[in-house]
Amino acid sequence: MAAASSAHFFSLGEAQMQQPQNGAGAPAPVVAAATPAPKKKRNQPGNPNPDAEVIALSPRTLMATNRFVCEVCNKGFQREQNLQLHRRGHNLPWKLKQKNPKETRRRVYLCPEPTCVHHDPSRALGDLTGIKKHFCRKHGEKKWKCDKCNKRYAVQSDWKAHSKTCGTREYRCDCGTLFSRRDSFITHRAFCDALAQESARMPPIGAGIYGSSSMAIGLSGMAASQLQSFQDQAHSSAATAISAGNAQFDHLMSSSGSPAFRATQPTSASSSPFYLGSADDGQAQPAGHTSLLHGKPAFHGLMQLPEQHQPAGNNGILNLGFFSGASGGGHDGRLLFPDQFNGNAAGNGRAGGGDHGNSSNTDSVSIFSGNMMGSGFSSLYNSPDQAVAPPQMSATALLQKAAQMGATTSSSGRGSVNSLLRGLGSGGALNGKPTGAGGFMAGDSSSRSTSQTAENESQFRDLMNTLAASGSGAGAVFGGGFPGVDDSKLSTRDFLGVGGGVVRSMNGAPGLPLRHGAAGLGMSTLEPEMK
Amino acid sequence: MVQDEGSSSSVTSSPLHNFSNMPLHPAVASSTTPLWMMRELRSDERGLCLIHLLLNCAGAAAAGRLDAANAALEHIASLAAPDGDAMQRVAAAFAEPLARRALRAWPGLCRALLLPRASPTPAEVAVARRHFHDLCPFLRLASAAANQSILEAMESEKIVHVIDLGGADATQWLELLHLLAARPEGPPHLRLTSVHEHKDLLSQTAMALTKEAERLDVPFQFNPVVSRLDALDVESLRVKTGEALAICSSLQLHCLLASDDDVTAAAAAAGGEKERRSPESGLSPSTSRADAFLGALWGLSPKVMVVTEQEASHNAAGLTERFVEALNYYAALFDCLELGAARGSVERARVERWLLGEEIKNIVACDGAQRLERHERLERWARRLEGAGFGRVPLSYYALLQARRVAQGLGCDGFKVREEKGTFFLCWQDRALFSVSAWRGRRFD
Repeated sequence: MAAASSAHFFSLGEAQMQQPQNGAGAPAPVVAAATPAPKKKRNQPGNPNPDAEVIALSPRTLMATNRFVCEVCNKGFQREQNLQLHRRGHNLPWKLKQKNPKETRRRVYLCPEPTCVHHDPSRALGDLTGIKKHFCRKHGEKKWKCDKCNKRYAVQSDWKAHSKTCGTREYRCDCGTLFSRRDSFITHRAFCDALAQESARMPPIGAGIYGSSSMAIGLSGMAASQLQSFQDQAHSSAATAISAGNAQFDHLMSSSGSPAFRATQPTSASSSPFYLGSADDGQAQPAGHTSLLHGKPAFHGLMQLPEQHQPAGNNGILNLGFFSGASGGGHDGRLLFPDQFNGNAAGNGRAGGGDHGNSSNTDSVSIFSGNMMGSGFSSLYNSPDQAVAPPQMSATALLQKAAQMGATTSSSGRGSVNSLLRGLGSGGALNGKPTGAGGFMAGDSSSRSTSQTAENESQFRDLMNTLAASGSGAGAVFGGGFPGVDDSKLSTRDFLGVGGGVVRSMNGAPGLPLRHGAAGLGMSTLEPEMK
Repeated sequence: MVQDEGSSSSVTSSPLHNFSNMPLHPAVASSTTPLWMMRELRSDERGLCLIHLLLNCAGAAAAGRLDAANAALEHIASLAAPDGDAMQRVAAAFAEPLARRALRAWPGLCRALLLPRASPTPAEVAVARRHFHDLCPFLRLASAAANQSILEAMESEKIVHVIDLGGADATQWLELLHLLAARPEGPPHLRLTSVHEHKDLLSQTAMALTKEAERLDVPFQFNPVVSRLDALDVESLRVKTGEALAICSSLQLHCLLASDDDVTAAAAAAGGEKERRSPESGLSPSTSRADAFLGALWGLSPKVMVVTEQEASHNAAGLTERFVEALNYYAALFDCLELGAARGSVERARVERWLLGEEIKNIVACDGAQRLERHERLERWARRLEGAGFGRVPLSYYALLQARRVAQGLGCDGFKVREEKGTFFLCWQDRALFSVSAWRGRRFD
């Protein structure tokens, strides 16, 4: 098939790049004898022969009409061949030169006018008659004038052609467009009718083109409720950040290029507020908060919401609410707080993705600053009130993590795994969730009430172990540290152990993020077991 | 019994391969897993599980080990969700292609299940593409850069002929009409030839564009060419000798790289590594069709040709390599989509299912002449284009500024435009996802 198609494309044979005669500006040879007649086989339109000979004629030559003159009657002819035929009539010796199609090179012609586009060899025209007409039309004096309208023409044939149709016939399409030419009318009408039908069926292009207005970030519903609840928790110091932030938002809001991030209608109230990254702009960004940047987009999208959906006067307060984010109010709430912000609000001690000792924000904040990579969605979406939520890492972040885990050989145990986590979290708020991750397992152990539970836990941990670097306390990768794992209960039966025991135990730990997986995973089956 | 994850391509010691090779708990092989247990994982744990499972499954599918693939897929199915978080959605999008791929060993099953799949209709694809356009800025950035390039190349032309190989997305041309109408010397006569497989989409585009052109008073002519790209006859484009021509190809050229010979190459690859390398080097006959096409385009001597392509190498002959590449690439895209739309967003679901999902399906589950999504990185395209006679035209600084302005206007820090030797790389979080480059025919210099 490749061969066939290449033949298809190269119907001219192999393209050879030869040095074209550069006639530009030089007095060019007059192409006397072999005037390419229109009968000559045309090269495919749009495929100028790469080995064409480039001819540049002087204006006089180009405009010369009758170069070949009969010696008997002085009649002038444009073409040699016509002269020869005429000579037959005088019984003069005549000879028709046959142009040898094999030897003759195709010629392309340049316009002698230096300012013209076709003066350049790469834009040469393919036909002598064409170049003559072009030169005359574009660079010649317009001597012919239509008498009905006042259009002027330099070439007589153009003038004749126009005056035939001027004002004679008009075609009108149903859509109201007027045409003077039949062919363009027909072409238009073919599409026009079809389109009239199609447009009734297909979604109008305009909606798509100009940005779907139904692009909901889905934060708004949640945002509304959240914001209300946070209003009372505004910190005064937040206000400054907010106002700085607001200015940003106005800028962002007014930018026209972001339909995607413009939330228009609230969807389910299951989304979480995004990382308020733009607050960063107003403040010095602590180093190592690369993860914050990831959260920014979400934030911006989010911040547009209040603009759109809340009464204007609330904006400042609402924004404040985001920033202040009391952990207590965090129902669906893991709010994402910029670290700086917390640092601002609660003192500048917390820098970097380290743990946020900010008491009022411990749980929520700690989760996010480090772990907000990419999407910034947290398990908040579906989970109810855990004070500590697991970070929802973006897919790329997870892949990087997996790669890292694959790259590290068996680590020295829990500590290294923790550091792995830390590293991933870029300053690792993972760190900061000893209550979360640590509590995950700590809670397990603490709530381990039955041997069944223990067994399940250990199985689970075993899974985690194996997922991470084998042999290391890699379960800590996820759990932030296993208490002594009971390996003896290793079972080959189940992936994660059986029974609801683990679930229960997990649930018992403070702030365990079990419900996050609700999305599409049918958590309901666990409900009866969970507390 | 630890699953043998050696797989067909024990190629690289890439970290992800190591990750996948970590011994998986023997329990995975069993079937009595209370799958709901797995739902208790935190999202990142679940994500890592998914990655592990996906990689193992890919290895198993490539090696034809159906039972291992089946086990992995079962777990994947319980963990993944098309409306979950990013990793879950990525896994959901990769699960079906993996299943198809694994089943290829049993052609009877494939045929009985009508695995020439229920592809989305062209209208659905068009809708999905539009949503993608809205949700992610990449295509908008690319078309902004392309339009700017065309505008600059056609600066003093009175008649401009633009050939759109990607066909049927009107947005870019609407913007071009605006740009041309705003030219100080007035708009040129614009002739737009659009190539696309399906006539209806072309008609829609035609109507929208002609209306807008009339409104802006730009002389405009639309020529539709209904044809597949690999069967395109350049004559039907009706390029006049000597006219000012611009060609624009947006994510189209890579399907020309499809050919049958990598079936044999893949078989060879199962045996050793060396053979697998050769199709990558671009010397195999599979590229001759692409080269012929590019040569024909060169023959039209365009003033400028703007090429937008995915910046990824999804054209390795070995499945596992392709899989890992694709996993990383589409994970980035899914992340990006996540930002643009709510979790339950129908538009995003469409993009993921009808557009990206189809691409993934093609990359993972198909081979030979059917595998059309043969994305390659710009350096290889550059070599091909230069081999066909094109010279690179650096995209202007002004285009870069414009693109960056658009990117910043989105209010999201993840999108960046990186410029390198006159080419734009549209990045998400520093991972280049698309490349935009401009070329011209080097005929007469």
